[in-house]
Amino acid sequence: MPERLWRTPLDVEKISRPKAEIYILKDQCKGCGFCIHYCPKKVLEESDEINARGVHPPRVVDEKNCVLCSFCTAVCPDFAIFVKEKQCKDGC
Amino acid sequence: MSREEIRIGVYVCHCGLNIAGSVDCEEVAEFASTLPHVVLARDYRYTCSDQGQELIKNDIREYRLNRVVVASCSPRLHEPTFRKACEEAGLNKYLFEMANIREQCSWVHLHDRRAATEKAKDLVKMAVAKAALLKPASDIEVPVIRKALVIGGGVAGIQAALDLADTGYKVYLVEREPSIGGMMARLDKTFPTMDCSICILAPKMSDVGRHPNIELLTNSEVIDVKGYIGNFRVKVLKKPRYVKKDCSACGECSKVCPMTAPNEFDAGLALRHAIYTPFAQAVPSTYIVDMNLCLNKDGVIVCDRCIKACERQAIDFTMKPEAVELEVGTIIVATGADVFDPSTLPQYGYGKYPNVITSLEFERLINAGGPSGGRLIRPSDMKVPRRVAFIQCVGSRSNKTGRTYCSNVCCMNTIKDSLLIKEHWPETEIYVFYVDIRAYGKGFEDLYKRAKKEGVIFIRGLPAEIIEDKKTRNLWLIGENTLLKEPYKMEFDMVILSVGLEPRKDSEIIQRLLTLSRTQDGFFMEAHPKLRPVDAATGGIFFAGCAESPKDIKDSVTQASAAAARAGILMAKGKVTVEAITPILDVEKCKACGLCAKVCPYNAITLNKELKRVEIVEAACGGCGTCAAECPSDALTQNHFTDEQIIAQIDAVTEYDADKKIVAFCCNWCAYAGADFAGVSRMQYPPSVRIIRTMCSGRVAPKFVERAFARGAAAVLVAGCHPGDCHYINANYHTQRRVERLWKKMEQNGLNKERLQLLWASAAEGERFASKIYEMQKIVESITPEEIERAKKVFSKAGGA
Amino acid sequence: MSAGKPITYREVLAEYPDAEKIKFCFECGICTASCPMAGLLKGEYNPRNVLEKIFLNVEDVLVSDEIWLCAWCYRCYKRCPQALKPPEIFFHAKKFAVETERKQAFENIIQKIVRASPLPLVTILACFHPERAGLGLDRIVKEAEKIRKELLDEEKRAIKAESIKGKVAVIGSGPAGLTVAHDLILKGYEATVFEAMKEPGGMLRKCLPAYRLPRELLDMDIQALKDLGVEIETSVVVGKDVDFSSLRSRYDAVFIGVGAHKGQELRIEGAGLKGVVHALDFLCMFNSEKALNVEDKRVAVIGGGNVAVDSAKTALKCGAKEVTIFYRRSREEMPANPWEVKEAEDEGVKIEFLISPKRILGSGENVSAVEFVRMKLGELDETGRRKPVPIEGSEFVKDADMVILAIGEAPDLSFIPKEIELNEDGTIWVNPLTMETTLKGVFAGGDAVTGPASIVEAIYAGRMAASSIDCYLRSLR
Repeated sequence: MPERLWRTPLDVEKISRPKAEIYILKDQCKGCGFCIHYCPKKVLEESDEINARGVHPPRVVDEKNCVLCSFCTAVCPDFAIFVKEKQCKDGC
Repeated sequence: MSREEIRIGVYVCHCGLNIAGSVDCEEVAEFASTLPHVVLARDYRYTCSDQGQELIKNDIREYRLNRVVVASCSPRLHEPTFRKACEEAGLNKYLFEMANIREQCSWVHLHDRRAATEKAKDLVKMAVAKAALLKPASDIEVPVIRKALVIGGGVAGIQAALDLADTGYKVYLVEREPSIGGMMARLDKTFPTMDCSICILAPKMSDVGRHPNIELLTNSEVIDVKGYIGNFRVKVLKKPRYVKKDCSACGECSKVCPMTAPNEFDAGLALRHAIYTPFAQAVPSTYIVDMNLCLNKDGVIVCDRCIKACERQAIDFTMKPEAVELEVGTIIVATGADVFDPSTLPQYGYGKYPNVITSLEFERLINAGGPSGGRLIRPSDMKVPRRVAFIQCVGSRSNKTGRTYCSNVCCMNTIKDSLLIKEHWPETEIYVFYVDIRAYGKGFEDLYKRAKKEGVIFIRGLPAEIIEDKKTRNLWLIGENTLLKEPYKMEFDMVILSVGLEPRKDSEIIQRLLTLSRTQDGFFMEAHPKLRPVDAATGGIFFAGCAESPKDIKDSVTQASAAAARAGILMAKGKVTVEAITPILDVEKCKACGLCAKVCPYNAITLNKELKRVEIVEAACGGCGTCAAECPSDALTQNHFTDEQIIAQIDAVTEYDADKKIVAFCCNWCAYAGADFAGVSRMQYPPSVRIIRTMCSGRVAPKFVERAFARGAAAVLVAGCHPGDCHYINANYHTQRRVERLWKKMEQNGLNKERLQLLWASAAEGERFASKIYEMQKIVESITPEEIERAKKVFSKAGGA
Repeated sequence: MSAGKPITYREVLAEYPDAEKIKFCFECGICTASCPMAGLLKGEYNPRNVLEKIFLNVEDVLVSDEIWLCAWCYRCYKRCPQALKPPEIFFHAKKFAVETERKQAFENIIQKIVRASPLPLVTILACFHPERAGLGLDRIVKEAEKIRKELLDEEKRAIKAESIKGKVAVIGSGPAGLTVAHDLILKGYEATVFEAMKEPGGMLRKCLPAYRLPRELLDMDIQALKDLGVEIETSVVVGKDVDFSSLRSRYDAVFIGVGAHKGQELRIEGAGLKGVVHALDFLCMFNSEKALNVEDKRVAVIGGGNVAVDSAKTALKCGAKEVTIFYRRSREEMPANPWEVKEAEDEGVKIEFLISPKRILGSGENVSAVEFVRMKLGELDETGRRKPVPIEGSEFVKDADMVILAIGEAPDLSFIPKEIELNEDGTIWVNPLTMETTLKGVFAGGDAVTGPASIVEAIYAGRMAASSIDCYLRSLR
């Protein structure tokens, strides 16, 4: 179906997308950067701060973009990052 | 046979006044009787009538005729009729020849009786010369595989597949989208009965899904077609769904999928997830992953939410595209049409003004299962509009947009839509701006009247522009009421553009794969507009639905059943006869150079290097004759279009006044049909041209052209299908190469190369053919006797004569 | 003409290549609805009908007024679904009429135009182009003046009968503004026109080349308006010399007719070099005393609108050695009037299509050459035309001593309050029925609303605005 799709879909506000809360255990991070590299939505970036292990832990750029795929958790060698679905009422 | 005396009977047909009106048929018949081998020449009012055929049959017996020439209409029309008559009288059908003095003579020279009569005489002389050299032959029988391929799973494809499968044939139904259903699945109601579209389609869709004889290949595309009538080898690319058949369509995967995009099925008015089903009634109901959207598109399972949600473990990201080979005997093309994109008409503001919508968007908005739950709402503020305007002929019947045809369905669709609005919101004021309302079908006029009765107002005169009110997002329509001759400026809450249909953007691919032709509008062309409306010119291929021209559901279904019946005939017989126009090899002369094998579009000729000989598979031969044109040692020729026969025709043309004539070689499918079309349309052109029919322009050997010039012809035209449209896949590329070589030769010898012209003209381009003849007439008139002589000398030295 | 055999459209349109196409008209009415003359003359002119009559009954058309009422704006052609060109079809009919001594009809329309247009001489000369059909101008001017005198007396008498009902400020003294003032005066209002330049006339004075419109004729038209009572305050820049808000408080209604005087900038390297000029500035200088010297120069004009064509013609008239228009799309997409393009080409202007400038090269601070890149047409864009895309590696350099930029003009609206909403292209949005902007009591029309367009379109806009302002002011009472 090759028509041009240009409109904002009518249900764009109705379809719920999971909202994420990203937790980073900064001092556990060894700065390998896997989470930053592999995140499909480019939610993370390297921060300026230096943690206890002397490396730059990741920082969240835009939590809204996270789709809760949890791939960061899967690839993190140090169990330093995990994502939880934000529980919200009234379809926040 | 060869020693037998040749006895030719010639019949000059009046065709009522169609021929006799501008050709003196008696004079032509009298002339024919003076030609060599002619023992009988008659003129007759309607030769194709039963009496006419009886006359021929009796004459064959009584006068021991062993060749028959009928000078009447195009062989494309009545050759089969007369061949049959000959056979009934015991004469081999290949001993019959036709002279086309109607489409290519009387109809195109309506105002010059003298010239038309002289031309008719020439055409008869050519036919007689060829007839004397005809040889008996028998048709070749080819088995037909009893399986069919249907391309496209809209309502036409569904109907055709079901009809064939119910008859008992195996059917492969290939659909590009994830589900069958096509355009009809997206409509809300159908005219004129106001049935719910999906309610009547969905049972048919599930029938297809369940039918033991139907193999449904969705999300698939035809990528290669080889073979010929009865024996096609088709390659289909099955793209992966990433969901196995175990899917129960529970939808749990979709709920957890984090990725969304506009749903194509809902014209982008609703969202779908990366794993989705396009609509509730989809067949197959198996979900599909849109890999461009899915987070796992790079081959790494980044997100596994759907996998976790699927109880049946039906999701499989390791699926790969798969090419399937099918063998079928017939193919039905039901690829449908696209809708016109109105954003190319800036004055209507589509794409800029949210409340200007297309009729297809309207269908989704008014549909209870659609994105708005059946509430017709303005996209700008989600309110139900109180004043609605429809604009007709958006994109159709326009030179500007290049879509000059009427799209057939939009008038009735608008009437239906207006009634739907009236049904739900009777207070709505509805205006339809039109130029002509075409309510031509059964029940259509009643529906039109009902709309009028319900208070829909029809105004003749299209808006010149739409202007949006910045504050209210209402729309101002500015135009002229052409019946009142008064300008109007009216304000509406919503405007619906009644968009036309256009050929699918990928028609070219299907055209190339199946060697089909298309009309100027871009839709596929049928073999005969009246008598073979669902057959393609290529044997074994049929059309159904909007692929052939825009049509409504009823017509699509009718055509689909017709196409299924036509395909069924072939498969029921189980065999098909192919004309004996295959190559003949003179083994003595053959030097086994293999050039013929190189040019054969069907791989029907192979060079056996070990045995140093050429081998021909007659059943695979398409009959273009380009091998015969290529053979450098005159070892190959084509049955029924032999070198001697064609040269006899050339010689007949050039016997007298050659320096005033154009010898034209036209391929049967495009250029010859185009010349016929010029005749049917009564386009007039100069009478100097004499057309020699070959099956393909690829049959035209350079020596034919040389022969014509050597005998003093003023000009030569070689005409074939457009490159890429060749009926024989690519044989006309060789035509181009050969003509270019001849041009070079002419230039080297100081000849005006304009005397040899190459024309690509489709069967619908009669005008193109006619204007070429005008152009060439100017060349003919400018040629000096010295030039004619020089060409004679150059080409007779080359062995042309 | 010999009696007996009736004349057919075929003879009349013998020199018109697409004559047979007129049969394809299916009378959708788009041409008439688009035609500013049909709007101005209400029921008296209907191009769709004229087209139909040319086909059915050409003898009647040849002696009727109607073929003469086309103002060559080509709005009809731009929208006609069949791509017919009524201005050219009518042109051939006019030529045939003149050649066969049927000129009377044209003289009849002078009366109509004087009544319909507040700038009759300007309209006749710059829009109707009687010279194209081979008619001399002197008699026309004399005739028009005579009719106007009679009309003026009549109108003055009519005004006195009414008392003053309100005051209206008109910003801009181009054809739109002057029409508003003229019409309102006749309706008994007081109208004051504010003009930024030293003399009134707007684009007519500033940019219309004098060979197309002799200035004394413009002066005659404006003088007649002054005689009628139109007040024109020149050298007043709204936003600088006088505030827009003060105009709103001092007057009962405001009309904005400031035209489109701001040339679009070309954002490429070298656009600041000496010898690169905006087309409007170039035309303006040509019309003033400070004309640029183009003698013996090679001039490159960038753009494809009427302004580009006018600049090219003007440059050629001023003695340029070589004038070439470079347009980034093809001829079909060119927004300039096809007829003007044809005339320019006949005069010796070269036009190169599918070419876009990449950078302007200089020697020192002067222009020496332009580097162009060839384009090809891609997909359709939102304007319905195929979008030009550069062909990589097709760059070439062409010597030029002067580059005239005519890549679009927009209105300069820095003075208006933000309550007045604009369109995407920087023009003012108005309600098409009332010509009112999004700010109550403020109306607009002409090029400031439509972008660069023709004189009659501006006059028609002014007429609609005036009658709407009248309604508005009545409603206040």
